[in-house]
Amino acid sequence: MTATHSEPIVDGATPTAPGTTGGTSAPGTRRTGAEALVATLERVGVEHIFGLPGGAVLPLYDALYGAEGIRHILVRHEQGAGHAAEGYAMATGRVGVCMATSGPGATNLVTPLANAYMDSTPMVAITGNVASSAIGSDAFQEADIRSISMPVTKHSFLVTRPEEIAATVASAFHLARSGRPGPVLVDVTKDALTAIADESLLQLPMPGYRAPAQPAPEEVRDAVELMLGASRPVLYVGGGTVHAGASEELRTLAELTGIPVVTTLMARGAFPDSHPQHMGMPGMHGSVSGVATLQKSDLIISLGARFDDRVTGAKSTFAPGATIIHADIDPAEIGKNFPTAVGLVGDARATIAELSSEWIRRTSAGAAPDYDAWVARCQEWKRRYPLGYEAPPSGALAPQYVIERLGRLVGPDAVYASGVGQHQMWASQYVGYERPRHWINSGGLGTMGYAVPAAMGAKVALPDTTVWAIDGDGCFQMTNQELATCAVEGIPIKVAVINNAALGMVKQWQALFYSERFSASQLPSKQVPDFVGLAQALGCVGLRCDTPEDVDRTIEAAMEVDDQPVVVDFRVCKDAMVWPMVPAGTSNDDIQHARDLTPDFGEDE
Amino acid sequence: MTLLHDYPPPGPPVPTAPTAYRPAPPTQPPHSPAPKGTPMNANPSPNRHALSVLVENNPGVLARVSVLFARRNFNIDHLVVGPTEDSKVSRMTIVVNVSSEQLHKVTSQLDKLVEVIHIEELADADAIRTQLWAINDNGPRPVGAMAAAAF
Repeated sequence: MTATHSEPIVDGATPTAPGTTGGTSAPGTRRTGAEALVATLERVGVEHIFGLPGGAVLPLYDALYGAEGIRHILVRHEQGAGHAAEGYAMATGRVGVCMATSGPGATNLVTPLANAYMDSTPMVAITGNVASSAIGSDAFQEADIRSISMPVTKHSFLVTRPEEIAATVASAFHLARSGRPGPVLVDVTKDALTAIADESLLQLPMPGYRAPAQPAPEEVRDAVELMLGASRPVLYVGGGTVHAGASEELRTLAELTGIPVVTTLMARGAFPDSHPQHMGMPGMHGSVSGVATLQKSDLIISLGARFDDRVTGAKSTFAPGATIIHADIDPAEIGKNFPTAVGLVGDARATIAELSSEWIRRTSAGAAPDYDAWVARCQEWKRRYPLGYEAPPSGALAPQYVIERLGRLVGPDAVYASGVGQHQMWASQYVGYERPRHWINSGGLGTMGYAVPAAMGAKVALPDTTVWAIDGDGCFQMTNQELATCAVEGIPIKVAVINNAALGMVKQWQALFYSERFSASQLPSKQVPDFVGLAQALGCVGLRCDTPEDVDRTIEAAMEVDDQPVVVDFRVCKDAMVWPMVPAGTSNDDIQHARDLTPDFGEDE
Repeated sequence: MTLLHDYPPPGPPVPTAPTAYRPAPPTQPPHSPAPKGTPMNANPSPNRHALSVLVENNPGVLARVSVLFARRNFNIDHLVVGPTEDSKVSRMTIVVNVSSEQLHKVTSQLDKLVEVIHIEELADADAIRTQLWAINDNGPRPVGAMAAAAF
């Protein structure tokens, strides 16, 4: 680890020298810190901001009032602003921007910041704070958000001087989108927003921030050497490939090598579900073939994944025969959870491309790996243990059926956002994803209530794309106020509420591990609230569906509404469970593809 | 490590708390034989590591570094922060009691902090710890509420 000097910011975020546009105002005019901030947002290409004003941030909102080219979307709760910025970023890869006032406005952003940090979502949060002279006095609506956000952001700034605003905001965007993306918070005091910004523009030096390296050629050679020598390799694909836009390169590598692929929850769509080499999702609720392919492999080639505990199950028994090649843009991830044979630090897209070209070089020189027996074994698992669900008691609606039909009728061109819980797992299993950035969910933090605001953000970014939020009745009641935002601002998202009148995942665990003692997990959501009435009250179209026969018709009716948000209350069977399942803390070997049924993986070689 | 200039820099005398707020003097002699903090005679530990960390001299940087240690579930044995010849840069000397493998994890997390410029492991962690312990032990006695709590 060596000290490097500040490198120029090269992605449009460079604060320009005085005298050029953006860096300074025209000669003769002087502008406030707030005006400098808005000008910087325009310069780095911000088009949409989700936010909610308040006392400390009023000067900034005053400057936004006259800003052209920036649309501010007034949310109903700051958490909604944060998740909308995340949805916006996840759908496009651009930096999502949210804005809030001091104190409670800022603390309401903590959950989205933590969520974005866990899922490496590029996001900039801008908050106002009380005047610098009042900081530390427990002033009205004062909160030390810079410190509060420290463990959940890539970086957080407190700006107290107007002349530093432009450089800080530009640096925040650079930090958010470069390297491993993440949330960055800029807290600006009210006096800095109102004071005249001197033209002494600084570029923040950031001598400790280094651009990610490229993987060394010898490490790429070592990795390919391991791949050629392996007999049971697997490509373990994570969210980093989505952030890096590496789907094409990934497909090339997979088809070149013939190695089976598993995609994590964050990477659904990075590799087409319909592809024959795709073995499904690994993890607690992954497919049997996805889990087994990872578990029985002798070489795991991890591409932008981080060996999360939900994927590995009990660490001591995870993939006992496997050597690990770990490619990640974040050096701290390599070796964090498991010892790594080869670490490839760098952007997933470049890394995968280098692996491919090295592979071609070696195979054209005569290397001929033989994975046929292994691939046949994986395909056999896939054939024998497909995803499936039991038909519910007669007349009842299976939640899996609803989601399966939704995926079929709406198709892979739509964007699907989900909350957290049973519906999230079913949505990851049954929709069918063919392209990256069409599946948006809260993976790492598991934030209930993510779906509606994230769908709103995605729809703002992609107005011509159909955006469905697949939500649970528990999640939906956390953030449905943003439907009012959608109705007023003309953001016609569609929401499928999978209403099983329970906090379903909690209830499933209680059924399996707590002797069916359903402590605080049942909701009266089939009576209160009336979701159809609630939707209408929020300016949306409300639909209801109770029977399997009505599912297609209801989805089609929802698809016909174009000018308003739609909420469909799918009242589903309350006892459905998510299978397969690796019970928490147990080995992936103990996966159950249905209750108390463990698959037969065949003899280990 | 040599300091390039006097520390602390000469300045106005530090004001003392008004007499009215001062608690009763400690009942024990000031140089109690019982050592405070980690016992000094602990055996040299193979797991003791000293890190010299150059950080940007920004408000909040100490909080950021210590939050990171807490967040990743590491305990700091000793921590000293001082200036360097560059007023924009401070040096933190951090002694931690972790295995080499864990040390690698904490330094790679530390290295990600935007305000951390350079990290170096110092060779003789035990000697540094002894020195730091001596500074702690012989330094000014705690006053006020801290003294009341300590005795």
